[in-house]
Amino acid sequence: MPLGLFALSIGLYTVSAVASLAVSERTGGRIAAIGAVLGALAGMGAAAPVLADGQAVAVTLAGPFPFASFALRLDGLAALMVATIALVSAAAALFGITYAQEEYAGRGVGVMGFFMNLFVAAMMMVAVADNALWFIVFFELMSLASFFLVTFEQDAEAIGAGWLYFVIAHAGSMLVLIAFLLLFAVTGSLDFAAFRGAAVPASTASIVFLLALFGFGAKAGMIPLHVWLPRAHPAAPSHASALLSGVMVKIGAFGIIRVGVEFLGARVLWWGLLVLAFGAVSTLLGVAYALMQHDLKRLLAYHTVENIGIILMGIGIGMVGIASGQSSLAVIGFLAALYHLVNHAVFKSLLFLGAGAVITRIGSKDMGRMGGLLRAMPWTAVAFLIGALAICALPPLNGFVSEWFTYQSLFIAALHGSALVRLAAPLSAVMLGIAGALAAMCFVKAFGVTFAGEARSEPAKAATEVSWPMLAGMGLLAASCILLGIGAPIMAPLVGGVASSLVGGSTTAVADGVLVFPGDPAIGELSTPLIAILLIGLAGVPLLITALFAARRPRRRSSAVWACGYLPDAQMHVSAGGFAEPIRVLFRPLYGVRSRAARGLAAAADRFAAVPGGAARAEELWDRLLLAPIGRGVQAAGEQLQVLQGGDFRVYCLYIVAALIVLLAVVTV
Amino acid sequence: MTNLAFAVILIPFAGAVVAGLSPEPLSKWTAQLFALITFAAALALAFAFDAAGRPSLVLDLVTFGDAVLLGITIDPISVLIILAVVGVGLLVCVYSAAYLSLENREHPDRGRRSYYAWLMAFIGAMAGLVFASTLAGQLLFFELTGVCSWALIGYYQDQSSLRAATKAMVVTHIGSLGLYVAAAALFAATGTFALSAIGQLDDTMKTVVLAAILFAAWGKSAQLPMQMWLPDAMAAPTPISAYLHAAAMVKVGVYVFARGLLAAGAVPQTIGWLGAVMAVATMVYGFLLYFPQQDFKRLLAYSTITQLSYIFLALSISVFGSPLAFEGAIAHVFNHAFAKSLFFFVAGALAYTTGTRLLPELRGILAQAPLIGVGFCAAALAVTGVPPFSGFFSKFAIFAGGFQAAAAHPLLLPLLVIAMAESVGSFAWFLQWVGRSVLGKPSPKVAAAIPLPAAMQGVLLILIIMTLCSGEIAASWLGGRPS
Amino acid sequence: MPTIGQWALGLGQAAALLLLAPLVSGFCRVLRAKIHTRTGPGVLQDYRDILKLLKRQEVLPAGAGIVFRATPFVLMASLLLIATALPVLTLASPIEPVGNLFTFIYLLALVRFFFALSGIDSGNAFAGIGASREATMGALMEPVLVLALFVAALLAGSTDLGRISVSFSSLAGGSIGAQAAVIAAVAFAAFVEMGKVPYDMAEAEQELQDGPLTEYSGPGLALLKWSVGLKQVVMAAILIGVFLPYGAPASASIGGMAFAALAFMVKLVVVLVIVGVIENGAARSRFFLTSRATWAGFGIASLALVFYLVGL
Repeated sequence: MPLGLFALSIGLYTVSAVASLAVSERTGGRIAAIGAVLGALAGMGAAAPVLADGQAVAVTLAGPFPFASFALRLDGLAALMVATIALVSAAAALFGITYAQEEYAGRGVGVMGFFMNLFVAAMMMVAVADNALWFIVFFELMSLASFFLVTFEQDAEAIGAGWLYFVIAHAGSMLVLIAFLLLFAVTGSLDFAAFRGAAVPASTASIVFLLALFGFGAKAGMIPLHVWLPRAHPAAPSHASALLSGVMVKIGAFGIIRVGVEFLGARVLWWGLLVLAFGAVSTLLGVAYALMQHDLKRLLAYHTVENIGIILMGIGIGMVGIASGQSSLAVIGFLAALYHLVNHAVFKSLLFLGAGAVITRIGSKDMGRMGGLLRAMPWTAVAFLIGALAICALPPLNGFVSEWFTYQSLFIAALHGSALVRLAAPLSAVMLGIAGALAAMCFVKAFGVTFAGEARSEPAKAATEVSWPMLAGMGLLAASCILLGIGAPIMAPLVGGVASSLVGGSTTAVADGVLVFPGDPAIGELSTPLIAILLIGLAGVPLLITALFAARRPRRRSSAVWACGYLPDAQMHVSAGGFAEPIRVLFRPLYGVRSRAARGLAAAADRFAAVPGGAARAEELWDRLLLAPIGRGVQAAGEQLQVLQGGDFRVYCLYIVAALIVLLAVVTV
Repeated sequence: MTNLAFAVILIPFAGAVVAGLSPEPLSKWTAQLFALITFAAALALAFAFDAAGRPSLVLDLVTFGDAVLLGITIDPISVLIILAVVGVGLLVCVYSAAYLSLENREHPDRGRRSYYAWLMAFIGAMAGLVFASTLAGQLLFFELTGVCSWALIGYYQDQSSLRAATKAMVVTHIGSLGLYVAAAALFAATGTFALSAIGQLDDTMKTVVLAAILFAAWGKSAQLPMQMWLPDAMAAPTPISAYLHAAAMVKVGVYVFARGLLAAGAVPQTIGWLGAVMAVATMVYGFLLYFPQQDFKRLLAYSTITQLSYIFLALSISVFGSPLAFEGAIAHVFNHAFAKSLFFFVAGALAYTTGTRLLPELRGILAQAPLIGVGFCAAALAVTGVPPFSGFFSKFAIFAGGFQAAAAHPLLLPLLVIAMAESVGSFAWFLQWVGRSVLGKPSPKVAAAIPLPAAMQGVLLILIIMTLCSGEIAASWLGGRPS
Repeated sequence: MPTIGQWALGLGQAAALLLLAPLVSGFCRVLRAKIHTRTGPGVLQDYRDILKLLKRQEVLPAGAGIVFRATPFVLMASLLLIATALPVLTLASPIEPVGNLFTFIYLLALVRFFFALSGIDSGNAFAGIGASREATMGALMEPVLVLALFVAALLAGSTDLGRISVSFSSLAGGSIGAQAAVIAAVAFAAFVEMGKVPYDMAEAEQELQDGPLTEYSGPGLALLKWSVGLKQVVMAAILIGVFLPYGAPASASIGGMAFAALAFMVKLVVVLVIVGVIENGAARSRFFLTSRATWAGFGIASLALVFYLVGL
């Protein structure tokens, strides 16, 4: 049944994709959106039973290729990915019903719908593919479909961003291909079923792991392979950016788990520590660079790098747990990573959709031209605020729960781990903490400069709220943020089940009633429903206090902002750059890394510029040094031989006689 | 079945005579008609072959005592390749009929009878080569294709094309010396020219014969050190570049080498190393020469050189015990034929409509002519090996076979890694051209383009579809599944 | 889930700290006046100020939105929530699901978030700079606080504040050096978070006209001043209740809690006197040089980690 629903889901996506090409633009966009929403519902329906009972379903069909069967497997991890993809796709599709028509009318709305649906279908197929060939096929198809979305604007920046994106994605998938083929050489089959638990020699296993880490890490946007992300995600249409940032980079994390944990068993300690290290660095540098942006979508893109870092930290701890035999630690680590995967998908897409709504009204991505939108676009502002609170991991929303679990996993690792782990885990926790504070600062800036204060440009002054489908898409995700946060006692066991299946089915309790805890309540407890109720309830105290004196107060009035006696001016408002300036000064070494790297790349590019000239010179060498001498030599030899044909008839007779004599001599001898 | 094979070889020659003798406006239609009949015959052969359970036949035609001089062989590989050769040949005929016209902005031309005659003769020669079962037969058709190529490259009769034609003739003829040596050595050792006799040779003679065949293959397939004729051969009319110098004639080299390997059974590893190292060297050289190219067709020529080195690499790897690599090589021959001809036809369509072949002047194609833009993208992705296009699946088989073989011969790994790096590099370079030329705002030359004739549009469409399907067709045919 | 008694304890504790907050800021003001050898307003002045402000008209800046108006309520609610979960009167946290180390850090982050956001939302330039500084101070103090509390949790074997308090109540808990370093680091962090000179960055009375507080008036200002005071009490309570819990009973007996309340007041007075002396003996540090001090604090916290790892 789940596979039937899954097939229906893929069918809906692909058929609506093709159909949207065939009809007029408006209808095409609508068909694609409706097909996506229906497909998403089918996808959720397929994923739910697998998540609920933890039983994987698989099917193997004979494909056209004799060396690779078309194998699919919907297990817990795949179901979690499919559900996440479906949720974000539904929200993006709802948003896109009017967004695509407003922004891109006349530029191929139907084509956009085609590529969006194809993109989503490819991602879902990657999650369930159980054969190396088909995995790579859908992995690349995913990059191909999203390439056309990234370059949709067809201006120089979008095309450049798309080129960088696709090249890095393709290089990454080549690395993954090498990893798979090394496993193929060991096991003799391309099926993942053969890869799982194959007896791979240790050195090969490490090489396969490193290849997979960098190959999938490039897709995930792990530092230092993240350079495509801040250019590609802003260039795409906003609902496509939501899918790119929200879901596609998670496929990278998913791939690392598949190869590192499922195929290779994560039995070496330094693998987990390496992933943890890359995660911590990505977290810190991602948020540091995000703080410096004044382009709203680039800011969000850098935050994706940060959050991928957090997911990688969780994966790293999980792998450390498996390698050191602490299955409970491993489950908590993977729980944190997977929960954050789902949470980030939801709140990052929400933020991108909100950004898209704002950019539609303002006509520019520059935060300096926004402002005063809190009153003009109240629902968008509330949705964006919920997303901002979630990404800053503020209680009681979903981001807090997954970061709480990440901290707890780092704590448990530091409590019982080996010496290296006991040093690495607290340091990672510190980096996560700094990143959390910087992220809060960044989103105070992002929300504040974008929505709050006075309008700073004409479009900002004239802005109005967006249409209801766009609000519906954002609302769906905002509601999910709240539910995933308050519903932690329900979500945690669900995700914990998937995490347990990765660690060989060990059972670790993570929830009890309204509490969640990392395996053992004595280590720490959390209750988001309780926090939510208490916050709302305790807010009644100040409300009561003010209400007591309401009768004696005159009515509230409004007045100009105090500017030391001067008339207030829109220029006096804090700007995006000004707000983040202290961090740029105080954390200068962090920003120095990027400029040094850029100088290195520029030097390499200069040296590359000499290659075409050299190649052009080499091209004509062959004619000059090889063919021309041969031609001249043959010509010269011919001219020498020409002497024989003197023209004198009597010399020819002499030749005939000489030939006869030689022939007679040869025959007699 | 053998009658069908004879038909496929002989009908084009008949068509050559008819097209050469008919009055000028009619000759292109007779050529297309004969090409269509040939293709129908090839299809019928394929179906009959499949229905009969795929028996591998070798029929000796001309013998001299014990020595077999000429014969035909019908097996899955020759049937698959003949479909590609004759299929693309038909498309080339249809395309040429529209391309060689006075409306062509780059090369206005009447479309003389000699063109169609030589084209049909070439198709016949290719068919003969594909079915040949003896070294002598291969040599005969090898030289025939060289003559046809010479005539067709020089078609426009200007200085540069005549020089290019002569250069091509000379270099490939030097290559053919290899086949002469191989045939002579084989005859001296076994007394017959039949390919199957290679299997009976001892190791040193096998090495000699196969090395000689490899040398001839390098010459015809424009590999180092005989690669310099192919870029200059782009002076030919674009349909000829597509057919001879992408889909068919350059494949003669790899085909001859593949047949030699098949016939030899257990091949000495020296041949494998020789082939693999030279293939990778050619690949790197070809890749480095992408960078200065501004002419669209010259860029495609170098791309053809590197794709052929992939096939050589795959065939060499199969020596080390990987049948998957061999199948990948044959599948790549099939896939590349369609993908590269699509790319050349796109170049031809652009030349026809805008009058220029220079890439920097061609921008924003998608906005002006969506079909050509889509064809450009499809061809680029198919040639560089991105799924769901065909090139990926054959490249995957090649790499998979390579890694299988590398398990026992670790020194193959660096060669494979270089090949994969080159694949990514090619992809990056072509993607850059896609970004510059296909997307964005149309350049002045593109904005002033005339509409594309319906025949050329139809051919582009058929080939775009083929670039999506040919991978599956080749794999299932070679794997023994009904296609 | 907490019992009725624990709920009562927690909520009562929060109410007590809420009512105590103006007294604490009054005490600090009296102390400052004494050190300046002047008389100054009385200890109960802040109560009078708050009551007066609650009856005043509220004047909102023109561009302010719902965030500006909601911030005082959000701030007070979050700080009250932290207050309910602190192990002040007992060694255990009254409401354990909330009394977790990381929950505490992120509730403080919630406070900082809205405080800074309201500064921007008011549209006032000074408030904007104050907001920027508030957020920056958060980023600078976070590593100190996280590391120090993390080491404390490692010493206790749990991230629950109550259990950490139990572990610190007996000095023989193993690593004396680590415990001392943790207390020093947390004390430093509490000092900075209280917003006392020389780290009075966000409000910076002489420089920024109270920073984010600038545009507030009437009941909003009353609640906000109260919340700022409450935050100071909460930070002091964290230091005293978790890390210096001498005198607090392990179980919740009335006699024990009364004694604990007395001990708490004594310790609070001691802490406030020390804080007052430091505050009035220093000038506000230059903002961009603050990081030197915070990195020194981080150094102390790292020392705690090293001591823990080595087992000193």
